[in-house]
Amino acid sequence: MKRFDTVRLAMAVFIASEAVFFAFLIAAYLFFSAATVHGPTARNSLDPPRTLVFTLCLLASSGTMWLAERRLSAARFGGFVLWLAATIVLGFVFILGQATEYAGLIMKSVTPERNLFGATFFTLTGFHGFHVFCGLVSMCVLLGLGFTRTFGEKEASGLAAISMYWHFVDAVWIVIFSLVYLTVWL
Amino acid sequence: MKLAGTSHAGKLLLLRKCITILIEFLPALVYEEKNSSQAVAMHLSVLSPASPEAAHIVWLWNVCLYVCAFILAVVTISILYILVRYRKRDEAEPDQSTGNRTLEIAWTAVPIALVAVLFTLSVAIARTVNHPVDRPPDVIVTGHQWWWEIRYPQSKVTTANELHLPVGREMLIAVETADVIHDFWVPRLGRKIDAIPGRRNTVWIRATQPGEYQGACAEFCGAEHAWMRFAVVVESPAAYAAWLAHQAAPAARPVQGDAAEGARRFGELTCANCHNITGINAQKSYGPDLTHVASQETLAGERLRNTPENLTDWLRQPNIIKPNCFMPNLELSHRDLTVLTAFLETLR
Amino acid sequence: MSDIPITPRLLEEPAPCAREGAWLEWISTVDHKRIGILYLATTLFFFAVGGVEALLMRIQLAWPGNTFLSPDAYDQVFTMHGTTMVFLVVVPMLLGLANYLTPLMIGARDMALPRLNAFSFWVFLFGGFLLYFSFVSGHAPAAGWFSYAPLSEKGYSTRYGLDYWALALLGIGVGTIATAINLIVTIINLRAEGMTIRRLPLFVWMVLVNSFLIIFALPALNASLVMLLIDRQLSAHFFTVMGGGSPILWQHYFWSFGHPEVYIMVLPAFGIISEVIPVFSRKPIFGYGFVAASTVAIALLSLGVWAHHMFAVGLGPAWNYAFGASSLLIAVPTGVKIFNWIATMWGGSIRFTTSLLFAVAFLFTFTIGGLSGVTFAAFPLDWQTTDSYYVVAHMHYVLFGGTLFAVMAGVYYWFPKMSGRMLSERWGVVHFWLMFIGFHLTFLIQHILGLDGMPRRVYTYPDRPGWAVMNLISTIGAFVIGISVLVFLANIVMSLRSGAPAGDNPWNAWTLEWATSSPPPEHNFDRIPPVHSARPLWDLMHREGRA
Repeated sequence: MKRFDTVRLAMAVFIASEAVFFAFLIAAYLFFSAATVHGPTARNSLDPPRTLVFTLCLLASSGTMWLAERRLSAARFGGFVLWLAATIVLGFVFILGQATEYAGLIMKSVTPERNLFGATFFTLTGFHGFHVFCGLVSMCVLLGLGFTRTFGEKEASGLAAISMYWHFVDAVWIVIFSLVYLTVWL
Repeated sequence: MKLAGTSHAGKLLLLRKCITILIEFLPALVYEEKNSSQAVAMHLSVLSPASPEAAHIVWLWNVCLYVCAFILAVVTISILYILVRYRKRDEAEPDQSTGNRTLEIAWTAVPIALVAVLFTLSVAIARTVNHPVDRPPDVIVTGHQWWWEIRYPQSKVTTANELHLPVGREMLIAVETADVIHDFWVPRLGRKIDAIPGRRNTVWIRATQPGEYQGACAEFCGAEHAWMRFAVVVESPAAYAAWLAHQAAPAARPVQGDAAEGARRFGELTCANCHNITGINAQKSYGPDLTHVASQETLAGERLRNTPENLTDWLRQPNIIKPNCFMPNLELSHRDLTVLTAFLETLR
Repeated sequence: MSDIPITPRLLEEPAPCAREGAWLEWISTVDHKRIGILYLATTLFFFAVGGVEALLMRIQLAWPGNTFLSPDAYDQVFTMHGTTMVFLVVVPMLLGLANYLTPLMIGARDMALPRLNAFSFWVFLFGGFLLYFSFVSGHAPAAGWFSYAPLSEKGYSTRYGLDYWALALLGIGVGTIATAINLIVTIINLRAEGMTIRRLPLFVWMVLVNSFLIIFALPALNASLVMLLIDRQLSAHFFTVMGGGSPILWQHYFWSFGHPEVYIMVLPAFGIISEVIPVFSRKPIFGYGFVAASTVAIALLSLGVWAHHMFAVGLGPAWNYAFGASSLLIAVPTGVKIFNWIATMWGGSIRFTTSLLFAVAFLFTFTIGGLSGVTFAAFPLDWQTTDSYYVVAHMHYVLFGGTLFAVMAGVYYWFPKMSGRMLSERWGVVHFWLMFIGFHLTFLIQHILGLDGMPRRVYTYPDRPGWAVMNLISTIGAFVIGISVLVFLANIVMSLRSGAPAGDNPWNAWTLEWATSSPPPEHNFDRIPPVHSARPLWDLMHREGRA
């Protein structure tokens, strides 16, 4: 007797564990941001306005993901493919933005080695980026599946799970962006 | 369940009686009124306190021991009784009782009360043992891999692996580390305290009995953690002052014989790069200060008794005696070993 | 033996021993029963490895000044012993049992996510392989199973052992979390009709609570490990003072995982005891609701006691008081369970099977371990006993005398279900007494050694009065344990080949796993009995008028 959808429930529990993981990394960032006195800090190294642009892309991708889910449940498969692809593109733009930001920072010799801002910044945003990347891979797999088979209950379940994951990743980014970028911008 | 109910109420009554007796006799357990060797039959270090700080902890231990022994007795006797009384006698199914709310409340409430008592006592003892720090430390103990640097800042004394304390005086010991986490522990004299990089911890000790006490590092710090031991010598204030004065005095460079040659070779063989000898080789000491090394009881963190033979042996093969230690094996010649030992033996 | 109601002539010989099917079937299986057996076999292997490591340590410590192991070798051995036992034995053994039993006990066909289940096992195995590969790399990790910084940092641990350690644990952690997710979804979603949460077998309930604890604790380990790896490989300074980092942060983070971990290592064991004792007392568990509720209390409290591993760090009165209080408090729900188990046996009709012997030994031994834990929670005592052999005694009393005894009880109880054959009760009794005596011989005296000032994690010790004798006794006890394990293994091998046929329900037990054949068919159940209480088969038996 099934009480909940298996895949969604599993994803919810998984998200809980990932939330704990990020909580520990965020705590480390906050703990050391208070203590860092030498070298680069968030205030003098980061470019919040630029990152805001990429943040908006990521948040928009949550919106497009939601639209993709709606299209699928309305059996508008063409729309589903379109909005899923848009989600992937927006997510990819975010990753690009992050990668170029990293490149810039490393050029300015802001690295994990340099000081604890470097260490905690790269660890926190790096693992977030890794989670985004994994989400993109999952979505590409789903997109690929979309071209090779008809979507039924099982695939809709999978989409719902990936969608939950994606929204979670976005939520984590909102927290990170606020704590790391907004606090030094405003 | 009636049978169980009765005996449980009986157990509660017994418990109340025990606690009453305990409270009445608590003062008798306090260190000042009782000889410490009567505290527990076994003369175990932790349970043979030689300071009030350690004694307070023993007092708390005794309380806990009574509480825990009582609970263990209840559990064990119940189990033994059950195994005898309720072993299978026939195929009949026993009464399928599923629970008893009163019992549940009782055996939740009583333990909560017990732990509340233990907590209160713990806080009281903690405040007594850790009274506030209101002055600079008398001794600064710095852990190194794998030896203890011991400094008396007011007397400008630096020595290694041997701590002297005056009897009866409250001493404040600061504990630091030069590398990894170590832990300063003299079980008969007080609590242990970690030596954390970047941090200074302190511990109060008022030794009340003269004698020699064992100390050890109590936090795994690498390969030779086992031999990062130290001695604590508690002596009369006069003897203590004399010892300090003696330790503060510089060494005199020997002028003749093997010792003189040893002093010269000490400098030539790079020993001087790591070991300070005040008066002869003023140097930041990466290894133990050797100014009065011959006056110490042991060598190499208690690895060896301090005799000329052992000293020679140590110089010859430190990596065999205490593998992984940072003292190099310089593959000294027999002649060098002889003169170096002669020199070091003059450093009393 | 006369307690077991078997009439052998009515039972068929079970199919030949569990290793049916080609190797490929075992490697590619997604069946929870096979995966469970894979876990049990693998953890048994690692238990032997960890046991050998323990024996090596005990040989080195048998007399002072021994040179059997060099200090560096000893440090690698004790690190690997701890890491192996915690990560490659106790937790996966319990999860393996959970894997095998949970679907059966709730009347399901398999776990909710069978392929994830297989993945979990193989990533765990890979982690184990990676950990032991560190020996091949030239140097196993040697900073202890909790790898305190800065000793674990690149500056003090220059070889790669610690990197393998961190990567292995990350892999094992992933597998553990995946299994926990699977168990949660399975228990919530796949229960048979009529099996409400309040009718769950207590083993399943504890597995459920345990899985939530895993979800909240393992990520803390993962965070700690990645930060350590970044320190070591990318030269960051999370835990080194030189770069502004904090060694104490490592301790906080690690123990935020480490303390819940010890409850992860014990809750399923509590579940086993909660199944075994009622069946062999022929009464239901006493206080089902309270046992279940106390489990939740333990899980919640366990998230708030971590800094009791840091009482000697000098964090200050506030920390000591808060964590002393929570650590004392967590003894209460644990005690509630012990009392309930005793009350279950009270007034019962006790059958002295090997399984029950181990369960009773658990009650006695775990109580001692729990009480010695209370002496740590009274934190001024911790200031004397922490990092000494008293701790070594305490942890082995709860993990070996606790969890492992419970696992033994579970093995003797469920082996018939898994294999279709009974384990020899005669050899079981031999195994039991050797293990019980060997265990207490090894570890009881270590309380004394700790109280006399012997620190832990030392490769040798000075010839203090009594230390040599006590250590020798401890070593002898360790070898007695070793012999008992050999007896156990022999029993398993012998019984797989020629043990008495078990039938569906050799113990006349009451939960759903006994309502199918031994071993169960791949789909688990042909027909699931109606579930109207926590003891479906008891209800059936009594409806039909049979005792």
